[in-house]
Amino acid sequence: MKNRNLYFLVGIASAVLAILFPYILPKFQLRMITEIVILALFAMTWKMLLNEGGMFSFGHSLYFGLGAYASVLGWLHIKGLSFMSGILLGGLVAGLMAFILGAFLVRMSGTYFALLTLAFNQLIWAVVWKWRDVTGGDDGLGKFPKPDLLGISMKDPANFYYLSLIMVGVCLFICWYYTKTPLGNVVMSIKSNEERAKFIGFNVNASKLVLLTMLGFFAGISGGLYAQFQEFIATSTIDMGMSTNVLFMAFIGGTGYFWGPLIGSGIFVYLSEYLSSFTDRWELIFGLIFIIIVSFAPQGILGIVEKKK
Amino acid sequence: MDSIWSTIVIQMLHGLAYGMLLFLVASGLTLVFGMMNVLNIAHASFYMLGAYFSYQMLKMVGNFWVGLVVCPLLVGLLGVFMERFLLRRVHAGGHVQEFVITFGILFVINELVKWIWGTAPLPVPIPPALSGSVMIMGNVYPAYRLFILFFSLGILIFLAFILMKTRLGITVRAAVSDRDMVSALGTNTPRVFMLVMGIGTWLAGLAGVIAGPFISTYPGMALEILVDCFIVTVTGGLGSLLGAVVASFLIGQLSSFGILFIPRFAIVFAFLLMAVVLIIKPSGLFGEKA
Repeated sequence: MKNRNLYFLVGIASAVLAILFPYILPKFQLRMITEIVILALFAMTWKMLLNEGGMFSFGHSLYFGLGAYASVLGWLHIKGLSFMSGILLGGLVAGLMAFILGAFLVRMSGTYFALLTLAFNQLIWAVVWKWRDVTGGDDGLGKFPKPDLLGISMKDPANFYYLSLIMVGVCLFICWYYTKTPLGNVVMSIKSNEERAKFIGFNVNASKLVLLTMLGFFAGISGGLYAQFQEFIATSTIDMGMSTNVLFMAFIGGTGYFWGPLIGSGIFVYLSEYLSSFTDRWELIFGLIFIIIVSFAPQGILGIVEKKK
Repeated sequence: MDSIWSTIVIQMLHGLAYGMLLFLVASGLTLVFGMMNVLNIAHASFYMLGAYFSYQMLKMVGNFWVGLVVCPLLVGLLGVFMERFLLRRVHAGGHVQEFVITFGILFVINELVKWIWGTAPLPVPIPPALSGSVMIMGNVYPAYRLFILFFSLGILIFLAFILMKTRLGITVRAAVSDRDMVSALGTNTPRVFMLVMGIGTWLAGLAGVIAGPFISTYPGMALEILVDCFIVTVTGGLGSLLGAVVASFLIGQLSSFGILFIPRFAIVFAFLLMAVVLIIKPSGLFGEKA
């Protein structure tokens, strides 16, 4: 009981803090917090795919980047496309891609699945990179509109932060709710014993496909938000680097915990900012930290915290 | 008519040379996977290390052939270290952890290479003895590519001999099909794993050394071959050496002829092949377990 109260207090305190951030933090800090919130959703989709669905994706930036590109192309080419519709467009395109590839992927087991996600990621990346007329190739796409939402200007960092917070919050809630639904339970039963789930009579592949499509959709949403956050997108949103980052975030936070992705993205954003401020070789240090965490604390930071208690 | 045929032959040879190179890298990957059930993502970075070591060796010693012998051995040694001190530690943690740690290693090696040698492509000259060219059906063909072809073929035969005829090969084949049983029969499997890891990374290093003068040496080369290599192993079937041979041949030809037709999206052909194979047989051409 005591523990429960403590969690409740921590939750309330973080919620109040999250609402107050725009008033108490300097601008660049608020920017980082916004990035953390957006990336947390992305990391959550990766973590859920592994933890709930037992699927290890090496090419998760595919959905993120596709969402970002679809949203941006929508804002650029469809006249009067509203803010929300643009974001949703990104999510839908990414979800559709997840569905199409998923129909093919869910039949594969562990290692094949991982290999294929990486291969598809590289394929789409290559197409985006070479198809300069539409995607801008290496130069990326910038100067796309940032429409107002219900008359509220999204150009104001505080407003954009609140919007990201609400959207990510809603998406995370749906993710959490999903694990409580019968469909979510089926997927989890597949993860713990696929043979048995099949034998009881569940349609294993269909349940996995639903999960993959849903997570692809959310990854696309976070991609669209990220595009508006950066006000510029390039192939870096869809390349291996981004797929690596999401893996780092999820593992640093702890893949077995609901809040792991948020903690992970927080550490990722702050650490990369901090390390890059005093050395050019920060990515190397990051990789070493990652190897150490994976070998000594496979359950990430939250795993360490729990062990201490 | 004549010129069409000679173009086809030349393209086929190009494809063969690249296919053989792919085979050298993919065979190491598939061997290690078949045995340890670990997909070593870092495998491609050992290939890259081979190329960079060879560049360094060329600068210091000035002889390509010394590098061809020494560099792959150094790379193989690193592979053994990786198995002994990193993979074995996390082995109990299961596949995901092993998987992720090789991913971290790939990342770190990439960054180290960028740090030490910079990001610009480095020139590795073709060794003088092979810098000439050969006439094939009225076309001038670089001798070095023929060298890649025959050298890799030699390695393939050597590998097949070891696997089929020696005691080590028998142990490895047995461990691929049931490693617990082999272990129970009294073989020191961890030591065999270490050795196989060494051989696998040695092969990757060898491919890197001979790839240096053929494909340019730059930090992106690991990722580039990694994807092709994955396509090869998935198409051929994970863990199958024969599958690796056949699939590398196919992918080499596809990428060589694909460039003739749609240069910008040549990579799509290899993916199509993979997709078709996997739809028909999800475990790959020669794979047993999907």
